Amino acid sequence: MPERRKGALHPHIPELREKLRRGEIDRRDFLRTATLLGMSSAAAYVMAGLRPGQGVTSAAHAQTPKKGGNLRVSMNVKAITDPATYDWSEKGNLARHMTEPLVRINKDNIAEPYLAERWEASEDLKTWTFHLRKGVKWSNGDDFGADDVVFNFERWLDPATGSSNQGRFSSMTETIDTGKKDKDGKPVMSTVGSAGAIEKVDDNTVRFHLNRPDLSLPESMGDYPALIAHRRFSDEGGDLVKNPVGTGPFMLQDFAVGEKAVYTRRPESWWGGDVYLDQITYVDHGDDPSAQLAAFASDQIDTNYRTNIEQVDVMKSIPNLVNYETVTAQCGVARMKVTEPPFDNKALRKAIQACIDNDRILEVVYFGRGAPGEDHHVAPIHPEYAELPKLKQDYELAKKYLVEAGYPDGIQIRIDCVANPTWEQNACKAMAEMLKPAGIDLAINIMPGGTYWDRWLTTPLGFTSWTHRPLGVQVLNLAYRSGVAWNETSYANPEFDKLLDEAGTLVNVEQRRQVMAKLQQILQEDAIIHQSSWRSIFITAHERVKGIYAQVAEEHHYNKVWLA
Amino acid sequence: MALFILKRLGNMALIMVLVSLAIFLLLELTPGSVATKVLGPYSSEEQRQIWLETHGYLEPLWVRYFNWLSNFVQGEFGDSIRFKVPVAEVLWPRLWNTVVLGFWTFAIIIPVSLVLGVLAGMREGALLDRSISVTSIITTSVPEFASAVFFSALFVFGLKWLPGTSTMNEGFDPLQLVLPVLVLVVYDFGYVTRMTRASMAEVMTTQYIRTAVLKGLPYRRVILKHALRNALIAPFTIVMLQINWLLSGVIVVEFAFAYKGFGALLLEAALNQDIYVIEACAMVAVFVAAATQTLADIGYTYLNPRIRFS
Repeated sequence: MPERRKGALHPHIPELREKLRRGEIDRRDFLRTATLLGMSSAAAYVMAGLRPGQGVTSAAHAQTPKKGGNLRVSMNVKAITDPATYDWSEKGNLARHMTEPLVRINKDNIAEPYLAERWEASEDLKTWTFHLRKGVKWSNGDDFGADDVVFNFERWLDPATGSSNQGRFSSMTETIDTGKKDKDGKPVMSTVGSAGAIEKVDDNTVRFHLNRPDLSLPESMGDYPALIAHRRFSDEGGDLVKNPVGTGPFMLQDFAVGEKAVYTRRPESWWGGDVYLDQITYVDHGDDPSAQLAAFASDQIDTNYRTNIEQVDVMKSIPNLVNYETVTAQCGVARMKVTEPPFDNKALRKAIQACIDNDRILEVVYFGRGAPGEDHHVAPIHPEYAELPKLKQDYELAKKYLVEAGYPDGIQIRIDCVANPTWEQNACKAMAEMLKPAGIDLAINIMPGGTYWDRWLTTPLGFTSWTHRPLGVQVLNLAYRSGVAWNETSYANPEFDKLLDEAGTLVNVEQRRQVMAKLQQILQEDAIIHQSSWRSIFITAHERVKGIYAQVAEEHHYNKVWLA
Repeated sequence: MALFILKRLGNMALIMVLVSLAIFLLLELTPGSVATKVLGPYSSEEQRQIWLETHGYLEPLWVRYFNWLSNFVQGEFGDSIRFKVPVAEVLWPRLWNTVVLGFWTFAIIIPVSLVLGVLAGMREGALLDRSISVTSIITTSVPEFASAVFFSALFVFGLKWLPGTSTMNEGFDPLQLVLPVLVLVVYDFGYVTRMTRASMAEVMTTQYIRTAVLKGLPYRRVILKHALRNALIAPFTIVMLQINWLLSGVIVVEFAFAYKGFGALLLEAALNQDIYVIEACAMVAVFVAAATQTLADIGYTYLNPRIRFS
C-alpha cells in the first residue's frame, strides 16, 4: 500500500488547482475536495483565493467582535449522557460546546480540520493518517492526544456501546461468528471492529486501516455522534452531565433535561483563539412552535434551533429578528420496501412515480424554499451530483404502468408518516391528491415520531426524513447499498453496489460525477423512492447576534458568535 | 369514624394496585421496542438485543411487574428513557411546579367563585345574578387553547406587558406565572361560580331560611350562619374535583406557555413512549384522585352531619 511522505500534498491536489484555475470546478468544490484530502483549511482557502474563514457564499462582515453576554437559545434539551449514542442533532449541539469532533463540517458544507489538525490519505484511500492538534487541553487539565481518539473509536465499534458510529465507520468493522446459536439454531453473528484497524502511531498521530476505500471518512468524523470524549469517560461513569470533561471552550454549569442547559466560558484560553460569549443558555420550549414565537416577541431568547417553514414569514413580522436560510441535503423520502407486496411490483412503483409532480409539491408544501427532488437522493449541493433529465407528471403513462402492474382499476395503499414536523404529513397529503386521478388511493397513517421510528425499517411504505450529509456517496452507501443496516427499502442491486464501490474510490469529482450519473439513473429507473424536495432550513436570531449562521446539519457553532 | 377512614384508605390502596396492574399491562402491550427508543432508530438489531438483555427486558412479564411494583413502593420508579435519569428526579420537581401553578389558580378561583356564586344565588334572577351567570357561561365556554392565544396576542404581542413563555429558567419569576394562571382562572372560575350559585339559590328557597328571615334575624346572619354552610357542600365537591383537573388537565396551558409542570411531563412522556415516566405519572395522578375523593368523603361528614350519622 503506497504511503505518502509527511506533509506532502495528495497527488490529486495540483490537478484540482488547475481545474479551479480553468473554471471547471468552483471554489466550493475545490475547498471541499482539497480539505478532504488532508490539505489544511487555511492553505486551501488561500489557494482558492479566499481569506481563511471567509465564506464562499457571502462577504465577510468587518465588525469588531465584543466580548461578554449570554446567548439564549430555544431548543429541546435532550439527555446528553453518552455522545456515542446520540440520535438527534440537538444532543450534538448541547455537547458540542464542551466536547469537540476531529473534523467539523463548516457553513459551506466543507469538512475542516478541528481536533485533527490535518490528515493524509493513501492513494488507494484505504489508509488514513490523522495528525492531532497539539497543545489542546481537556477541562480536567489532561493533554488531548491519540489515546483519546483510539479509546473513542474502539468504543464506537464495540456493539455493546450501541453507537450508530459502528455503521458510520463500517469500513473498520468485520462480522464474526460468536459461536452461539439463536433459537432457530442459526449461528449468532456479531459486527465488531476489525483487528488492527486503529493504530496509535505516536501521542499525536492515529492511523486508520480500512478494509475498503472510504472517501468520506473525514466527513463521517464530523457527524454529531463522533464527538470525542475523554479517554477515561467510561471509567469515570460514562455520563457527560455528571462528569462534563471536554476540550471545548465552554463548561457545563447547569443541566435539566426538558428544561434548560447553561454553559459558561472556560477561564483558560481555548486552542481555537478568542471566544466572545460569557454564557450560552438553552431553553426548552417544548414542541409548540408558537411558544418559541412568544419567547422571541417578549425578548426571552436570542436565537433558536430551527424555524419551521410555516413560521418564516411570521418571524419577519417581529421587529429586530433576522431569518437565516441555508440550502441543505436534508429531505424526506416516500420509500417503498421492494421486498413487500405490492411494492415488489416495479410497474406499480413506476405508476406512482409518473403521478408525482415534485416541483408542485415543493411549492405547495415548502413554499418553494429548496430544490425539487429527483427520486435518487443525491442533492444538487453534493459535489458529485449529476444533472439528469427532469421527471414529468404523466397520468397516461401512470395508467399504462398500472395495467402492466395488474391494477387496471387502481389500488389502495397506505403510507406511514410522522405528525411533526407538519411539512412531512403535508407532503404525503399532496402525494395522495396527485395519485387520485390515476386511481391510486393513498391512505395516510399519521403517528407520533416515536412510533414511526419503531417501524421505519419494516413498514411497506413510509415517509422518512433524512438529514444532511456532505457527500452523495455517503447517502447512497448508508441507505441503498445491499444489506446495510439503514437500507429501509431493502433494495439489493449488485450492479448498483459495484458502481458505488467504484464511486467511493474516485477522488476526482468529475470522474465520480460520471459514475454518480449512472447510480442516480438506476435509482430513478427502479423508482424505489419518491423524493419531493431538498429543503432549505431556517433559523431566526435577534439582530444583535453576530457571527451566527444556519449550518447545513443544524449544528450550533457558537465559538465565534458575539452579541452586539 | 376511624373505621370509616380506614375503609376509605383500604379502598384507595386496592384501587392503586388494580390501576398499577392495568397501567403496566397497557404499556407492555404498546408496540415498539424500548431498546429502539433508548438507542435510537438507527441502532442495529444486535445492539438492541444486547441492551434488552443487559437491562432485564427478557425476563417474564410477571417477574418484571413484581420487580417494578416492589421498586415502586420503595420510591424507585425506574429510569426515564427520554431523560436518562431516575424518574423521581424529574417527577417531583415537575409536580411541585404544577402545585405552585395550582395553588395560585385556586387562591384566586376559590374566593372569587364563592363570592360571585353566593352573590348571584342570594338574589336569583336579579341583574347581578344574570350578569354573573352570563359571564361565567362565556368564560367557561372558551377553551383554554383559545384564551391562551387571545391573552398572548393581547399582553405579549400587543401591549408587551408580559413574558410570552413561562419556562422559569432563570429562577422563579412571578410575572411568568401571570398568563398561565389567568388562562386557568378564566376557564375554571365560571364553573365553580355557577355550581355555588345553583347550590346557594336552592338553599335560599328552603323553609328554614324563610323562617330565619321571617323571625327577624339580620339578613347577613341568615346568609353566613345558616345558608352558607349547606350551600358549600356542592362547591366543596367541585373544588376537590378541580384538584385532579389541575394536576393532569392543565396540559394545554403548560404546553402553550412551555411551563415545566406535571401535565407537560405526562404529555412528553406519552409522545416519547417513556414507559416508566408514564407509569409513575399515572400512579401519582390516580393517587391524587383517590386521595382527594377520600378527603372529600371525610369533608362531607363535617359539612353535613346526616352523612356522618348514616
